[in-house]
Amino acid sequence: MLIFAASDKGGTGRSVTGANLAYRRALAGDHVCYLDFDFGSPTAAAVFDVLDARAAAEDRGLHAYLAGEAGEPARIDVWARTEHPVLRDLPPGTGRLELFPGDLSGGEFAATGENLHRCVDLLLRLDGEYDLILVDLSAGRSYAVDMVLAATARPEMRAVVSRWLVFHRWTRQHVTAAAHLAFGPRGIVAGGVARGHDEDALRAGVRFVRSGVPDLESPLWSQVTPTQSAWMRRTDEDLRQLASVLGAGHRTVLGTVPLDPVLQWREQLITDEDVVVSQIANRETWEALGELAHRLTDDKCWEQA
Amino acid sequence: MTAPEPPARPVLVCGEVRTGLLPSLHALDVRAATQLLRLRSDDHVLVSERPVPRVLSPEILTGVDCPLPAAGGARNRAVGTVAARAALTSGRVLQTTAYVSLPATGPDARRPWGQYLVRPGLAEPFGRLPVRAVAEGVLRGARRGELDLGIIAENLSARLVRHPLLDHRTPFKSRRTRMRWVARRVPEGDKAALERFTLAEDGLRTVELRLPDGVAAAAAAGMCEDLALHDWLLTTLAHMLDDSRLAAADGPAAVLALRPAVDHLLHLWMPRAHVDRSLTAVWDALEEAPGFTRQWQTQVQRIRDQLALQAIPLLHRALSPS
Ligand SMILES: Nc1ncnc2c1ncn2[C@@H]1O[C@H](COP(=O)(O)OP(=O)(O)OP(=O)(O)O)[C@@H](O)[C@H]1O
Ligand SMILES: [Mg+2]
Repeated sequence: MLIFAASDKGGTGRSVTGANLAYRRALAGDHVCYLDFDFGSPTAAAVFDVLDARAAAEDRGLHAYLAGEAGEPARIDVWARTEHPVLRDLPPGTGRLELFPGDLSGGEFAATGENLHRCVDLLLRLDGEYDLILVDLSAGRSYAVDMVLAATARPEMRAVVSRWLVFHRWTRQHVTAAAHLAFGPRGIVAGGVARGHDEDALRAGVRFVRSGVPDLESPLWSQVTPTQSAWMRRTDEDLRQLASVLGAGHRTVLGTVPLDPVLQWREQLITDEDVVVSQIANRETWEALGELAHRLTDDKCWEQA
Repeated sequence: MTAPEPPARPVLVCGEVRTGLLPSLHALDVRAATQLLRLRSDDHVLVSERPVPRVLSPEILTGVDCPLPAAGGARNRAVGTVAARAALTSGRVLQTTAYVSLPATGPDARRPWGQYLVRPGLAEPFGRLPVRAVAEGVLRGARRGELDLGIIAENLSARLVRHPLLDHRTPFKSRRTRMRWVARRVPEGDKAALERFTLAEDGLRTVELRLPDGVAAAAAAGMCEDLALHDWLLTTLAHMLDDSRLAAADGPAAVLALRPAVDHLLHLWMPRAHVDRSLTAVWDALEEAPGFTRQWQTQVQRIRDQLALQAIPLLHRALSPS
């Protein structure tokens, strides 16, 4: 299965949440790969703590492969190469977790012709290898988005299930922007239809992920004044209304990741060690990520919204 | 007009093979396989039915004029054609190979293309070929702009995989392997031999051979395809066993994980079956160490044991009065 992680704005938690989802699925036993299609500003190597391996792969990243300059894109075995001590110590039953890094120097290029062919070839091939393929796309209606929309519209890709996650923060502008990216006139569904996708099928495969959402019941906010608390609750409710009006309401939401102190400070994987032993991360975050990871393939969550 | 100088004797043959599961729910029968591998209308697809059906495509050529990969940055450039072909074993395992023969020396200027085209699968160096450096360079892998046999093999594989005959519903998840090989020519009458076979990370294997003059480069390509096929079978079976061990707490899951091995792989082990007679001895070295067939049999036995164990509770239930 292909999971595309998109967002309209930058800084929505797309990469960090996506990496955590890949991690959690691999822990649950799936063979997972993470493709960094955010050419130009790839960040996944840092989140997985594989910066040395990334440096060794130099200019053989996904961008070079798609442009026809490398026969095989570099892949990094996260469990073997990570410098994160906890990640090296795997429970039995863990699946493979591999990163296909992006290139630092990757500029824009056409999502047509041979480049598109190579994208299709790669996605098909990886689908034969991995249970789950998570693709981090650059923000906005980028050419990476265009490329995968065109690729997944190809008849060869018919048998491969693909799903879209649209990430956004919990503010007015983010909610509006995310809804536009998904369903607006220049959005994913419209762009997909223009490339030959069936509108209903594509729409049914789009879900929102709200990230960095303050949980008003958490101790983090227990010290605010009653006025502040009332205001926050009202605003939260307004946002729900807005999301619902724009087609990004709760039935189209796959999950919500609470605002987490660790992620606020550092782009990283949240391990159970962070929650149980050192207790720097919130248990709610760990649970929310696990639930979201589970729902990626839970068909009940993907019935017509 | 004088006849063009014929190229010098090849001293090196280099190739790369990709091996993987055909992305199709069902194995292709020989007819469909023939259709898939008909890369050219003017040449035949070769079919051998026994002991395991294997279908081999005609060769297609790619014109090249570029530096060869070479260790230590030895300066060189070669012009000519690279041959590529595809093979499908038992309608299940798809392999594509790109290979090229390199003579010891070549003219200092480019010939008219027609002269290269009459010698398919040969690329001539400008001047002397730095044999050792190129052999090492090929095994290490091409850098940007250098002759990349992997890209040629990959392109052919991609072209086949896009064929409308394939439904892309694979019966199980598996990984492809890549094998880079170089064969140094030795005088006719010398023994063919495998000098080195290594497993690198990321599914990459490298092979070094000694190939007597008089044995066709295509025979070496066939030998390496056979080796790559069996290496892929071993690797794939090992991964399945790993995955099933993970699921072992849960009986039915273990069966589900191993079942595809029985359905699709176990009957494919037939080393040497399609290897040119002059090269079958090369396999003997592999049977001694690392003992390919011995490893295979051990794994097959473990799979059979696993499946038998899983069947016991079922039998128990079936036999006990309820
Ligand atoms: N649940 C969360 N709570 C707090 N901070 C978070 C949370 N999720 C992500 N962050 C932080 O927000 C920042 C942006 O996240 P991330 O880099 O994943 O966003 P992005 O959408 O991939 O951005 P870009 O478009 O720049 O690639 C990071 O510093 C990250 O650690
Ligand atoms: Mg990012």
